[in-house]
Amino acid sequence: MTRITAADRLRRLLSLLPWAAANNGPTVGEVCARFGLEPDELLSDVALVTMVGVPPYSPGDLFDVVVEEGRLWVHLSPSFDRSLRLTPEEALALVAAGASLLAVPGADTTGPLARGLDKLAATLGIDPEDAFDIDLGRAAPGVLAAVQQATEEHRRLQLSYYTHSRDQHTDREVDPYRVHAEQGRWYLVGFDHLRGEVRLFRVDRVLAAVVLEDSFEPPKDLPEPELFEAGADDSRVVLDLAPEAGWVVESYAVDEVATTDEGRVRVTLPVSGRSWLERLLLQLGPRAQLVEVRGDPNLARCGPDAARRVLSRYEPA
Amino acid sequence: MASSAKLERLLNLTAALLETPRPLTADEIADRIFGYPEDKVAFRRAFERDKDALREMGIPIVMTELTGADPPQTGYRIPKDQYYIRDPGLEPDELAALHLAASAIRLEGVEGTAGLWKLGGVVPQTTSSAPATVAAIPVDDRLVELFGAVGDRRQVTFTYRDEQRAVDPYRLDFHRGRWYVTGYDHGRADERVFRLDRIGGEVEAGTARSFEPPSVAVPGARAEPWQLGEGEPVRARVLVEADQAAIAIGIVGPEAVAEQRSDGSIVVELPVSNPDGFRAFVVGFLDHAEVLGPAELRGDLVDWLRAIADNGPPS
Repeated sequence: MTRITAADRLRRLLSLLPWAAANNGPTVGEVCARFGLEPDELLSDVALVTMVGVPPYSPGDLFDVVVEEGRLWVHLSPSFDRSLRLTPEEALALVAAGASLLAVPGADTTGPLARGLDKLAATLGIDPEDAFDIDLGRAAPGVLAAVQQATEEHRRLQLSYYTHSRDQHTDREVDPYRVHAEQGRWYLVGFDHLRGEVRLFRVDRVLAAVVLEDSFEPPKDLPEPELFEAGADDSRVVLDLAPEAGWVVESYAVDEVATTDEGRVRVTLPVSGRSWLERLLLQLGPRAQLVEVRGDPNLARCGPDAARRVLSRYEPA
Repeated sequence: MASSAKLERLLNLTAALLETPRPLTADEIADRIFGYPEDKVAFRRAFERDKDALREMGIPIVMTELTGADPPQTGYRIPKDQYYIRDPGLEPDELAALHLAASAIRLEGVEGTAGLWKLGGVVPQTTSSAPATVAAIPVDDRLVELFGAVGDRRQVTFTYRDEQRAVDPYRLDFHRGRWYVTGYDHGRADERVFRLDRIGGEVEAGTARSFEPPSVAVPGARAEPWQLGEGEPVRARVLVEADQAAIAIGIVGPEAVAEQRSDGSIVVELPVSNPDGFRAFVVGFLDHAEVLGPAELRGDLVDWLRAIADNGPPS
């Protein structure tokens, strides 16, 4: 049990007493379960409350609390018979948590959570439709639902997973341990039977997910694998960027940033894969000039080659 | 037990300040409330700490200058109308759903349990399994201040890109891992979107109900890259191959799918007002996607790709 401060106890009491007063002598067990405390803690807090009295009130006037046959009977002066307002932090925590889950692709937007959030938000003056939006991450609803279901039921998944940096996909079976959202993306941690190791997958790169019949026992301590990051042995490219392409500096882990004599920004970037560089160069177009490739010399032509490959869709040979 | 003595004192203080018909001076509080030290300096220190503790849990303590006293004195009380919760009247299943949400979503540095107590306590769960989805959302003081300001319609001031801004905050968005606030920027006389992590220092909020929210909701940071432009949007149609269909649906949402073809490929329809953002979306699929129309967007992409192709040595 963590150490609880006097302020925490007061906060709990000022919520617990109005609830007990409005609920016709609830049992000590019920009160303890709702407000997260032990029976002896409840009894000592109750004993203390009955001592409170400020002039002109005598003890018992403000808080009249009796425990009889395991039930808590509470009568409060009108000043204390309603709960305290929420602090901005408390309100934010609840609204944000509710809005987050509702924004998960495939969430029930008419269920109890949606109704509860609407009521709570209305008392705060926040319109959860127009004034508050949380997007935990993008994912196809069917894929995320299958991944979540398999994780909850400890069932194996058949995944078709897209390797973005190589523009390839592979089929594999994965025992899903955990699904979580972080920094605006959904991730899956699971045992990858293809590689024989625990890996971290991006759910927005899962092309198809099927929940299989096979079940598994998840490990007690969840490993924390890391996504692939470019290391020192990977190829680097040096790009000169026009002012409109300045976002590259903020969006990627660049090794080096400098300014050229012509006033362009020169960045050195680690390359996490050929397809990754193709996408970047196709997006930047004339706003970037490839100055140098360190490492794989084949990367030098990767922009024009990719452009021709895409063009072949539009201009059949 | 020290904690119990302090709890008793805090309860007495709350009761006294809530029940008093007129503001109480520090001397009256020291007199009436059991449990404060006799020494004046020690009393002052304990009283300040208690006020902070009460304010932190949402108990408003209002200070007023008492007229007629010489020397002038400060009076303290808790206004009843600001003390009580506006009861949202949650049904048990609604409260349980909020509880489940609060345990699945962790707001870093913010405790949600006390809020649930105030709403009637945490309803014991019938199932013992913890929710499978877990997300952590970053929170800081600026977000808390802005959240209150959006709800109370308070104008806020803060420093952004080394400039002082005065903004009527309309909405908050958490998008791609970051918080944004959208509102009317008085200095620029226009709507602007601000990234919270770029606000320098504190956010100061003014008085409540200082502006009217816009009659039409602002899109805020929800706008997609292909929507961030002026002018009437053009409806673009993009074919995405079967293999990449799930990825495309993840990005644009299932409602943007206009056609599902028998080979598994899909056609998505997007309102485009920013050709740059649109192009970035399409080339993200490399040769697995194709702009079907309109002709000007298709032609724009072809010209763009041709310029890149011509810029390198022939293969």
